[in-house]
Amino acid sequence: MSRFARRIRLFVELSRVSFRRQLAYRTANLAGLATNTFFGLLRAAVMVALYGARQEVVGMSVRDAITYTGITQAVIAYLSVFGWTELMDTVYTGDISSDLLKPMDYFTFWMARDLGRALASMLMRGLTVMLIYALVFDITVPVGAWQWAALLASLLMGWLVSFSWRFLVNLAAFWTPNALGISRLIFATSWLMSGFMMPLRFFPDWFVGICYLTPFPAMINTVVEVYVGVLDAQGVITALAAQAMWAAGLIWVSQVVLRAGIRKLVIQGG
Amino acid sequence: MRRTIDIYLRLISVQIRSQMQYRASFLMSLSATALITFLGFGSLAMVFWRFDNIGGWTLWEVGFLYGMVEAAFGTMDLFFSGFNPHIFSRLIRMGTLDQILLRPLSVTLQVLGSSFIMKRLSRISQGALIFVISVAMLDVHWTPAKVAYLPLVFFGLMCFFGGFFVIGSTLTFWTVQPIEVVNIFTYGGREMIAYPMHIYERWMRDFFTYIVPAIFLNYYPALYFLEKPDPFGMPDFAPFLAPVVGVGMLVASFAFWSYGIRHYQSTAT
Repeated sequence: MSRFARRIRLFVELSRVSFRRQLAYRTANLAGLATNTFFGLLRAAVMVALYGARQEVVGMSVRDAITYTGITQAVIAYLSVFGWTELMDTVYTGDISSDLLKPMDYFTFWMARDLGRALASMLMRGLTVMLIYALVFDITVPVGAWQWAALLASLLMGWLVSFSWRFLVNLAAFWTPNALGISRLIFATSWLMSGFMMPLRFFPDWFVGICYLTPFPAMINTVVEVYVGVLDAQGVITALAAQAMWAAGLIWVSQVVLRAGIRKLVIQGG
Repeated sequence: MRRTIDIYLRLISVQIRSQMQYRASFLMSLSATALITFLGFGSLAMVFWRFDNIGGWTLWEVGFLYGMVEAAFGTMDLFFSGFNPHIFSRLIRMGTLDQILLRPLSVTLQVLGSSFIMKRLSRISQGALIFVISVAMLDVHWTPAKVAYLPLVFFGLMCFFGGFFVIGSTLTFWTVQPIEVVNIFTYGGREMIAYPMHIYERWMRDFFTYIVPAIFLNYYPALYFLEKPDPFGMPDFAPFLAPVVGVGMLVASFAFWSYGIRHYQSTAT
């Protein structure tokens, strides 16, 4: 087996283990699903009440807006929207020392594990939320192979942007004992700027402009816009390209920061 | 009584002093929580120019509901920190509760004094700020009765959500791990009554009227303060049930709590 094939094999195995571990938390997954559904219903009611008699607002129909509340609840677990501190925890417990000794690139190691976790979450708390939505509401569904393909690409890219960003934020633990506080602040910012609280197109243009200077819209808002179909073919391609650029950029930056961080790292605990 | 208060204050001051030791971390958490509270209402405010009302209510009328519930829930969250199911269940898992039971002091008092999360202050102040701004923009017609009733509504909300914390903690006597579904009533309930209740589907509203009577804690009092007509035709005393429902909830939950304590079997850790 070539070296490359072996690496791929290791990546897939790590993802699979992490996928199974996530599925094993059955009660936690169910409770999470119930909570996501309840909050989704609340937010859908708020949307309907905001729309009132309006049929459409900036290209989004009431139906799109209801679907939007479902999508945002569906990606909470998939993208760890409420926070992800697994990596910084290993820094503070000292477990990181054994992870760094593993014969595998440190970034790829976490990426494989996060992919498994994300896919299991998508299955248990993403698709299920959308299924419940489809039963309760008349929701928007992508049309045609092309839009489905674009959605799939956008979801995958959204995860890649989200993961590399979360990885980068967690690296703060290499420098400061306060990384948890920093990450809370950053995650809260991302809720507003990623389009998690409200679809970005509802906001004033100047604010949307600021949001698009950050990687946050590439995590959720792009997925929403591709899903509900408010973009034309040209717009979809531009949006996917922007996601790919953010992913590539963040992966590169996290490599640089990781290299600097490892030189700085003081292993704690024992 | 005097001794009880004295002990409680001493327990709390230990908590406060220890949290103040990590000042940078404390300030960071404070600003993060402030940002989170602001985001909910702030994002609504930022899209309001496209919509101009929500189920017939203006932004500031919603702000009245939103600020009130945020401030009251935050205050509850501060004083009932020890009864937060996530924090309390740790006492059970670590076996700390066994030590508490052995001390010649009220168990409830010790649990109340076991945690006092200072960063909740930012939630309280954010909620109060939203409330004050909304009231200033609304030009509420204040009467002596309304001024007297306002703190009672606040108190009712605190007791109501405190009751859910106590129930959630009592359940962990049997389950050890906190039951996540309780979050739907605490955090979900908070979110729900931050908006006017008539925007929800019938079955959801009925559930939060007859089974979990959350509708009387914020929505009905707001109808009274803002002098809005009641869309559901409840009796005239409906807006004044907030303290009764709140205190009733807390008393019932403490009854369940003492039942739980009597049936507590240690985790033997």
